[in-house]
Amino acid sequence: MNRSDHVTPTTGGEARELRLLEQAWRHPRGIFGWLSYTTHQAIGLRYIVTAFIFLLVGGIEALLMRIQLAVPNNTFLSPDRYNEIFTTHGTTMMFLFAVPVMEGMGIYLVPLMLGTRNVAFPRLNAFGYWMYLCGCIFLYWGVFTNAAPDAGWFAYPPLAGPQFDPGKRVDFWAQMITFTEVSAMCVAAELIATIFKMRAPGMTLNRIPLFCWSMLVQSFMVIFAMPSIMIASSFLLSDRTLGTHYVNPAEGGDPLLYQHVFWFFGHPEVYIIFIPALGFVSHIISAHSRRAVFGYPAMVLSVVATGFIGFGLWVHHMFATGLPQIGEAYFTASSMMIAIASGAQIFCWIATLWTGRLRMTTALHFVFGFIAIFVFGGLSGLVLASVPLDLQVHDTYFVVAHFHYVLIGGALFPLFGAFYHWFPKMTGRLLNEALGKLNFWVLFIGFNLTFFPMHILGLKGMTRRIYTYPPEMGWGAANHLATIGAAIIALGGLLFIANVLLSRRRGQIAGDDPWDADTLEWAASSPPANYNFEYLPVASSRSPLWDPPEERAIVTGLRNDRREALVTTLMDAEPHHRYVLPGPTIWPLITAIAVTVGFAGSVFNGWYIFWGAGLTGIGLIGWFWPRRPLELKP
Amino acid sequence: MSRVAFLVLCACALTSCAGHQQSAVDPAGVQADRIAHLWWFFFCVLIAIFLAVMAFTLWTLTRRHRGIEQEPLESKHKPSEATESRLTRTVSGLVIATVLVLLVLLVSSITTGKNISELRDKQHGLIIETTGNQWWWQFRYLNDDSNEILITANEIHIPVGRPVMIRGMSQDVIHSFWVPNLHGKRDLIPSRITEEWIEADHPGAYRGQCAEYCGLQHAHMVFWVIAEPPEKFKHWFDSQLQPAATPTDPDKLRGQQVFLKNACVFCHAIRGTTAAAQNGPDLTHFGSRRTIAAGTLPNTPGNLGGWIVDPQNVKPGNHMATIAVNSEDLQPLIDYLESLK
Amino acid sequence: MTAAKTLDVAQLPPYDVSSQSPLWWGQVCLAIIEGTMFSILLACYFYVRLRMDVWPPPGDQFPHLLIPTLGLIPLLLSVPPAYYASQAAKKNDRGGMIRNLALNLLFGLIYFVLRVVEWHSLNFNWKADIQGSLVWAFLGLHTFDYVGDLGFTLVLLVLVLTGRYGEKQRLGVHVDTVVWYFLVAVWIPIYIVIYWGPRLVETPR
Repeated sequence: MNRSDHVTPTTGGEARELRLLEQAWRHPRGIFGWLSYTTHQAIGLRYIVTAFIFLLVGGIEALLMRIQLAVPNNTFLSPDRYNEIFTTHGTTMMFLFAVPVMEGMGIYLVPLMLGTRNVAFPRLNAFGYWMYLCGCIFLYWGVFTNAAPDAGWFAYPPLAGPQFDPGKRVDFWAQMITFTEVSAMCVAAELIATIFKMRAPGMTLNRIPLFCWSMLVQSFMVIFAMPSIMIASSFLLSDRTLGTHYVNPAEGGDPLLYQHVFWFFGHPEVYIIFIPALGFVSHIISAHSRRAVFGYPAMVLSVVATGFIGFGLWVHHMFATGLPQIGEAYFTASSMMIAIASGAQIFCWIATLWTGRLRMTTALHFVFGFIAIFVFGGLSGLVLASVPLDLQVHDTYFVVAHFHYVLIGGALFPLFGAFYHWFPKMTGRLLNEALGKLNFWVLFIGFNLTFFPMHILGLKGMTRRIYTYPPEMGWGAANHLATIGAAIIALGGLLFIANVLLSRRRGQIAGDDPWDADTLEWAASSPPANYNFEYLPVASSRSPLWDPPEERAIVTGLRNDRREALVTTLMDAEPHHRYVLPGPTIWPLITAIAVTVGFAGSVFNGWYIFWGAGLTGIGLIGWFWPRRPLELKP
Repeated sequence: MSRVAFLVLCACALTSCAGHQQSAVDPAGVQADRIAHLWWFFFCVLIAIFLAVMAFTLWTLTRRHRGIEQEPLESKHKPSEATESRLTRTVSGLVIATVLVLLVLLVSSITTGKNISELRDKQHGLIIETTGNQWWWQFRYLNDDSNEILITANEIHIPVGRPVMIRGMSQDVIHSFWVPNLHGKRDLIPSRITEEWIEADHPGAYRGQCAEYCGLQHAHMVFWVIAEPPEKFKHWFDSQLQPAATPTDPDKLRGQQVFLKNACVFCHAIRGTTAAAQNGPDLTHFGSRRTIAAGTLPNTPGNLGGWIVDPQNVKPGNHMATIAVNSEDLQPLIDYLESLK
Repeated sequence: MTAAKTLDVAQLPPYDVSSQSPLWWGQVCLAIIEGTMFSILLACYFYVRLRMDVWPPPGDQFPHLLIPTLGLIPLLLSVPPAYYASQAAKKNDRGGMIRNLALNLLFGLIYFVLRVVEWHSLNFNWKADIQGSLVWAFLGLHTFDYVGDLGFTLVLLVLVLTGRYGEKQRLGVHVDTVVWYFLVAVWIPIYIVIYWGPRLVETPR
């Protein structure tokens, strides 16, 4: 029996209010309507589906690389093609999959968990998605016109500079960064505003769900880190197309300046990907062990500490460049110190599992997989934090093993767990559990088979980014094993897709709350209505849905004839004023196209920046042009 | 359990690669040796931590928790105060233990770092200026006055037991000098000079490879470090100092003429002839090297012929021009170059 | 109803022209983003300076001081009208909004003209060397943001003048000042670094 907080209309008045609400939030029709959606569920799903498509693309690129490396002196891919593929694999995974999928999950889940109807800036939300999509199309336009970037996902100059990488390849890379960073910054700003100002009444800072804390910290990290890569990629693009000298060694430019500015972003970036996953883990564990996560204050402090300390580590990517020893020691210390925060979280989760009543669902399987793989990856990270050890294993397959362990273990496994956990909320049907467990084991085995041997390859001297290797090095067996593992991972991916396709039509109906979970999103219907909740909930504790019915409350008094939500105060979430949200509009798309003209065009001709700016100005005027009624009815 | 077995197998696999080239866990020099010791220390500590964490994690799957009463969670979802305070003590203890372990790792790491850098104060070091190019290595031996005295490419000999300073720079993009049997890597960055001291304690041939992605043929930018006993090194050094002798054999003389008349001289130098360009590897003692094309092929007449006739086939994208050499000129040219010992 | 208690919010206003609005946080995030970009550029400037032996690089004259320093006057004078416009927006005082937005725009435009004049007096451009590239990065980014905000102010002024405004537009007037204060404030350290910097950290002759 699923618990539901739907208000069953008992009077004619309430039925009329519900009709008004549904009408106010109805999606507009047709293609034009579809392009105008501003509801967070729709846009969140768009991010997730688009990102997943690029996960598959990046996965195919990985398979191509693994085929080339399966045997020594292989000729499956030419060196040029291999270099393009490893570059686009890394770039696609980092910029077009990992960050956007976490953003998408945040956009979908945060308003539901906070008990509100939409994000604070719905049009900005739509704009951010279109910018991301344009960035994906822009990069792959380059790939399919034989101008795929080939200087690595971090594109160090001078290799990525105008002299050694002529043509448009790296320009596509650098400008794609601009698209995706603008998108990420839009999402970050709106999530911060939403989490600060639109929480359910009673949801004090002390009661904010752990995933929302994760998204808050992640959003602040985006705001402080993304400008750095905007600058790094702009320096590179500008040196390549405008003749500046930021990072070219001629005329005083400094390749190491690029590395500093890039990695000042690059290290927080991996936490930007990983911190939302920590939120997933907390929610899955609490629902499937039927108790709230142990140590809420420690969990929040750990996430915040990770966010801060994450900005103080970047030089550990540059230990081989010959830095002063005192600097090296500091960055070793900070790189190790961050393990304390992650460790605290792991201990709290184990404590929760220890004292919970476990329900071994697929989602919880993925959480156990996360613990195994992420902890292993974190420990190999401690090896990299040590300067003498790093000087041996930097730029070898040991590093490749490490970051795949922490990113796949630390972010992708929780993400799959999250899909299994929230798919019923998003679609109304449960994913098949038997197929799900098979999915988990195939992915777990395939992953370890692929990446574990790489630790050994790195110690045995195999450097990164080489398109082939000679047979006498003895690297062939481990590489062969890794390729087989990659094929198994691909199988795991196919199993997931099969499960999704099957379950969408024929999966067991979920109801509102199939897991008997504790946070507010489970009070909405499955899938949620566009307005999420007919009456916004009041948060009576950290786990509102586990509170007895007499302690729970709902908000009345919001108008239903327009899109309205509630703004509450920052610290104590006291209701402050009502907030009218915009409805569907095409202007975010138009503005995104205008900005795209500017960004994409400027790679070929600098004047397009001005054209783009002008068009964007027009788009923004259309976006913000006052609409009737000018004065709001109270 | 199978995970544990797998890990033990891998540990054996690693240790069994004693004698393997380009391996960080097969040290032949004092720095690589200290790093390898640090590695094994970290390995033991980290594996122990991993196994402990996994043991606790998997233990949660057992139905009966030792010492903690089953809570009636289905209705209340709230464990008792006693449970929570016990967990608080345990988790706090584990966090403190984590801090202590990290401190131990930090101190051991910094100590090792200090130890391996202490070599740089040695008085009698040999300085080799190393320049990275796409996709080959130029090496210049300097004497104590920093006057250059010997230029060679892709292979260096060093005396056993004596510190050698690799002074690194780059002509084009960022490269990285790495010979794992002897030491960690050091990047070669254009517009900067980096320095690293290495020392071999056992004679042998140690393979090194560029460890910073530098373009199309990054995979084929290999070099060799041959460590020899001091007398043998001196003998090698003195013979390398000699310019190439003019051949007396008519076949090899013809080969020299072919070399000097073709575009080869635009890039390659052979001391003792008029060819003095430094755009490509110095060939004065080419015949004494083990490999050609920066470690891509063993240095045999057959391979050399294939390389000269079609360098793009061997190493696609490399900067050596394809020069049309007549078939009757090719063999003398090969013979001449191989004679430059 | 399955929930026993209700919390009625019908008496709350459907808007609030103040810093309690979510839009205020959006503007703050924008200011933080731009501020981070300028901070990183400042860090780059000092990083490069500390690596170079000769500063400014040969061939670059010191940027002239007179016009940029004079320009600080209209720039700083534009701040009080921005403040009064935001207060007028809160109080729904149309005349106050028009007067102060117009004054803000006027001083802003005067400053912009002075900046363009001063650009022409620089003897190095972005292609000259690293110093040129960095100085033009500062000028380019700040001017771009500045022009954007001037445009926004102009549009708001037009809306208020033509009577096409309601609570949302008043909120816009109110929170836009956050970005304006930021643009003025961030210019001060940039001005010091670009114009005084070479003089303060020049290579001793």
